Amino acid sequence: MRRGTGLMLPRATIGMSRWRRFRAAVDWPLIATMLALCTIGLLNLYSATRGVRHHAKFDTQVQWMIVGAIGFVAVTIVDYRAFVRLAWYGLGAAVVLMITARLFGHPTSDGSHGYTYRWLNLGGLGIQPSELAKLMVILALAHMFSDSEASAYTWQRLAVQGLALLLPIGLVAIQPDLGTAVLLALIVFTVGFLAMPNVWPMVYTMTGTLLAIPILWERLESYQQNRILGFIDCNVAKAKTCWHTTQSIYAVGSGRIWGKGFLEGTQNQFNFVPEHWTDFPYSVWAEEWGFAGSVFLLAIFAFLQVWTLNVALSARDRVGAVICVGVAAMTFWHVVVNVAMVLGIAPVVGVTLPFISYGGSSLVTFFLAMGLVANVSLRKHGY
Amino acid sequence: MSSRGYGPALPELHKRLRWVAIAVLGAFALLVGRLGQLQIMRGDSYYERTVSNVVKERYLPSVRGKIVDRNGVPLADNRPAFNIYITPNQVTADSKAELARKLGLTDDELAKIDERLAIGKLRDPKSPVLVLEDQGRDRAALVEQAKAQLPGIEVQHEPYRYYPQGDLAAHLVGYMTQMTADEADKLGAQGYDSNELIGRYGLESAWENYLRGKKGKERFAVDARGDRLDDATAASLIPRERVDEPVPGANLVLTLDVELQRIAEKAVAHTAAAAVAIVEPKTGKIRALVSKPSFDPNVMTGHLTKAEYTLLMSDPRKPFIDKTLRATYPPGSIFKFATALAALEDGQASEDESMFCTGEYDLSGTHFHCHGTHGAINLLQAIQKSCDSYFWHLAERIGLDRIADVAREYGLGAPTNLGLNGDAPGRIPTKQWYDQKSHYKAGYATNAAIGQGDVEVTVLQMAMAYAALANGGTLYVPQVVERVETHDGQAIIGFEPKVERQVKTPALALDTWRRGMFKVTNELGGTAYEHGHVEGITVLGKTGTAEVKKHHKEDGERDLDRWNPNESHAWFAGWAPADDPELAVVVLVEHGGPGGQVAWPIAKQILEGYYTKIHPVPFKDMPPVKRDPR
Repeated sequence: MRRGTGLMLPRATIGMSRWRRFRAAVDWPLIATMLALCTIGLLNLYSATRGVRHHAKFDTQVQWMIVGAIGFVAVTIVDYRAFVRLAWYGLGAAVVLMITARLFGHPTSDGSHGYTYRWLNLGGLGIQPSELAKLMVILALAHMFSDSEASAYTWQRLAVQGLALLLPIGLVAIQPDLGTAVLLALIVFTVGFLAMPNVWPMVYTMTGTLLAIPILWERLESYQQNRILGFIDCNVAKAKTCWHTTQSIYAVGSGRIWGKGFLEGTQNQFNFVPEHWTDFPYSVWAEEWGFAGSVFLLAIFAFLQVWTLNVALSARDRVGAVICVGVAAMTFWHVVVNVAMVLGIAPVVGVTLPFISYGGSSLVTFFLAMGLVANVSLRKHGY
Repeated sequence: MSSRGYGPALPELHKRLRWVAIAVLGAFALLVGRLGQLQIMRGDSYYERTVSNVVKERYLPSVRGKIVDRNGVPLADNRPAFNIYITPNQVTADSKAELARKLGLTDDELAKIDERLAIGKLRDPKSPVLVLEDQGRDRAALVEQAKAQLPGIEVQHEPYRYYPQGDLAAHLVGYMTQMTADEADKLGAQGYDSNELIGRYGLESAWENYLRGKKGKERFAVDARGDRLDDATAASLIPRERVDEPVPGANLVLTLDVELQRIAEKAVAHTAAAAVAIVEPKTGKIRALVSKPSFDPNVMTGHLTKAEYTLLMSDPRKPFIDKTLRATYPPGSIFKFATALAALEDGQASEDESMFCTGEYDLSGTHFHCHGTHGAINLLQAIQKSCDSYFWHLAERIGLDRIADVAREYGLGAPTNLGLNGDAPGRIPTKQWYDQKSHYKAGYATNAAIGQGDVEVTVLQMAMAYAALANGGTLYVPQVVERVETHDGQAIIGFEPKVERQVKTPALALDTWRRGMFKVTNELGGTAYEHGHVEGITVLGKTGTAEVKKHHKEDGERDLDRWNPNESHAWFAGWAPADDPELAVVVLVEHGGPGGQVAWPIAKQILEGYYTKIHPVPFKDMPPVKRDPR
C-alpha cells in the first residue's frame, strides 16, 4: 500500500482507463440522492412561492444550488485529512465570525421575537456563521475521536475539548438561536456516543446536561419559552405560535392519502402556513402530495442516512468514519426535528429541512457536508 | 493520528450499530405513524377545515320593503349609506386607535364599537361586524384613503333605512335597531346576519317578515390575510353557485293619510302629551294615529347616543309607549254612551225623562259631586252638559254589569287586534271582577257610569267604539295595512275591512245618543260648543274630563313644562259629517284639563284642516271668492 500517490481504486477497476476508474470511485448513489432531494426541493419551492410576492426566491435558490454544487466538488477533491488537521482552527474561525456578527452584525427583527444576531453581512451576502460552525464542529469531533485507544481519552483532554465545543454552542444559544444550539448539542452527543471507545464519559455528560435543563430554561427568552409551552399546551402561548402549528397540521392532514396535487395546496398557496418555504416546506409537500409523497420523501432521507452510515462503516480510517457519523447525525436531527415540528409533535424551532428548505446558508452547508461524505467515500480504498 | 490497516475503521460504530438502527427506525416510524394519523385517520376533517379556511360567505343585503301611505307617500324608505365594518380577528389596537384619530370618534361611538365587537367576536371572529352605520361621505372617504393603515376595517356601501317624514307617525311606523347577542343567536338560524338591523317597533317590527325580503349570499375565496382571490381561482375552489341573488322585501301600503296625520300632529303640537286616533267609521281603516311625545326613527335607527337614550327613557311622559293603543286611560264622560245605551235598551231611560240635578248625589251614605248644578234636565241635555248626576241615576237603575255589557259590545275592555305595539285590552270592571278583588260596592257602578273608577280604555278602542256609534252599530277591527305589494308594485295580499261584531243597540237608542252628541258640539250650552264650532260641516261629539289618581312623584322624576300629572285627562270623541260619517276622531290630551276646553279645539282644528285641505267642502258662511276682473 503506497501513501500519497493519488487515488487508490477498487480492484475491479484495474485495467480500466483513468477516467473510468475515477467514475467508478465516485459515490454516485450519494449524488443521485442529493439530486433527487434538490429536485423535490425546487418543485416544492416553486409551489410554495408561486405567489407574486415571492417569485424571486426560486431563482435565488437555483443560484445557491449552483454555488453549493461547486462547493461540493471542491470539498470532495481535497483530502479530508487536510480539513481535519485544520478542524480546531476552523472552529476557532467560526467562533470569531459569530462574535463579529454579535458585535457588528445588524440585528434583525421579524416583529415576533426581539432581535437576533444570526446574520453576518459579507459583501452583500448574508451568511450565518452558525451554519459554518456545524461543519467545523463535525470536523473537530473527527479530530477529537481519532484515537482508537480508550486510554488516550483522559479526563483533562475531554474537559478541554468539551469546553471548546461548548463555546460555539453557547454563542449560538445567545444569538438567540435555540434550534441550532440544540442541534449542535445533539450532533456532539450522537457522535460522542457512537465514536468514543469508552461510552461512560458521554453518559455522565448527558446526565449532567439533562440536569442543567431547568437552569437553562430560566435563561430562555420568553418567545422561546412560549414556543415550547405552546407545543405542550396551545393555550399557554400566544395565538401566533399556535397558528403556525395548527395551520401546518391542517395542511398536512388535508393532503390525505394522495395529496391535493402539485400547486393545488390551498393552505400553502394562500399563505395560511406562514414562512412555509423556510421552516415548513414539508407541510407544503405533505399537503400537495399526501401520505404517499410524504412517506416517499422520508424514505429518501432514510436512504441518505443508511448510505452515509454505510460510507462510515466502509471508511478507510477512523477520522473519515467519524466525519460520516457526524454528517449523518446532522442530517438525521435536521430531518427529524423539522418534520416533527411540521407534524406538531415538536416545538417550532428554526431548523431547516435539508435541501428542501429555502435559504442559501442551509443549502450550501448540506452540500459541503455531503461533499465531506463523498470525500470519505472516494478515498475508502486509498488516499 | 489515524489508525490504518485492515478491519473496521471505527469499531465502536460496528458494535453500536444495533442502537443506531433502533434509533433511526424508531424516529422514522414515529414520523410515519404521525403522518398516518394526520393524513389517513383524520385527513377528511382536516380537509374540510382547509376548505373553510379559504372559502368564505358574505351576505348580500336585500332591499327592505317601503312603507307608504294610502297615496304612496313614503314613510319608510331606503337610501344608500356607508357602513363601517370591523373584522374582530384582523383588527389591531393600532388600527382602532388610528380609526378613532382619523374620524375623531366620540367616547360614545368608541363604546358602541367595543360593545358590538365583543358580541361579534363571540359569534365569529372572522366575519366583519357592523360597528358604525350610516356614516357620512367624508368619513367613508377618510377610511377608504387610509385603508393601508387600517387592517381589519372596511367601508361598505349599502342601502340604509330612513324615514323621510321624520317623527311623523313614528309609533306606527316604528324603527329598527341592531340585534342583541341573544337575538343574534336565535335569528341566526333564520338566516339573519348578526350585523343586520331588525324591526324593533311599530310596523317595522310587526311586518318584519314581509319587509325584510331574502338576503342573497356570495361565496368567495380568500388567502390567509383575508384578501380576496381572483374569480378564476375562486371558481376552481367553489363547486356551487357563487352568488345567490337577494330578493327585495315587500312594500306596505297603509290606510294612513300622511297629510291628515300631519294636520293632526300639528293640532297637538302645543300639548305635552296627547294621542289622536282617526278612523273611517264605514270601514274601520285608520287614517291617522298620533302619539305624542314622539321620537325620530331616523335617530333611533343607529344614531341614538347614550345621552339621548337616557333622556328619552327618563321622560315621565314615556315616549316609547304608544298612547293610542298601549297606554290605557280612564275615559271620563265619553264613556257615558255605554250607560245611556244600556238604559235605553232596557227601557230604563227615555229621551224625555227629566231629572233634577242638585249637584249632589247620595248613594247609601256616600256623597258624589256633579261638576255643576244643572237643575231640571233631560237625557239629551244631560249629554249636552255632561251632567254626571243623570247618569248616576241611570246606573242605579240598570247596575254595573249592564253598563259593562254594552261597553264590551263596543269593543272596550279587549284588544282591538290591530296587532301592533302591544295592543292593550284596558279594563271594563264587572261585579264579578270586584268580587274577585275584594267585594263589590254599589258606588263602583256610580263611578263606572261616567267612565271613572276602574274603567280603563285605549284611545283606539274609543275611536272604534265611536265609529260603530257613527255607522249604525258595526264594530270594525281597526286596519292600518291596506295591502302588501312586491317591490315592483304587484299586490300580494289585500285586506278587506273586517267586522268584529254587529252591536245589538236598537236604532232608536243610537239616534237618541247621536242627538245628544249634536247638542254638545252645535248648541249653546254644549260642553264643546262653548269652545268653538265647526262651520260648514256638522260635527257630532262628546267631551270627557277624566280625573286621575293622585300622582306620587318617583325619585329623580323630571319636571316638565306643561306637564302636571295630577291634572285630568282631556277627551273628545266624535265624528263628521253627522249623517254620512267620514271620519271618527278621538283626541286625548294627557293631563290636559277639561275636555271641552282642551281636547275639542284640537279635534275641531283637525276636522277643519281635513275639510279645507284634503276633502274641501264649501263653507256656508264663507264669502264668495273674488275673482280678478282681468
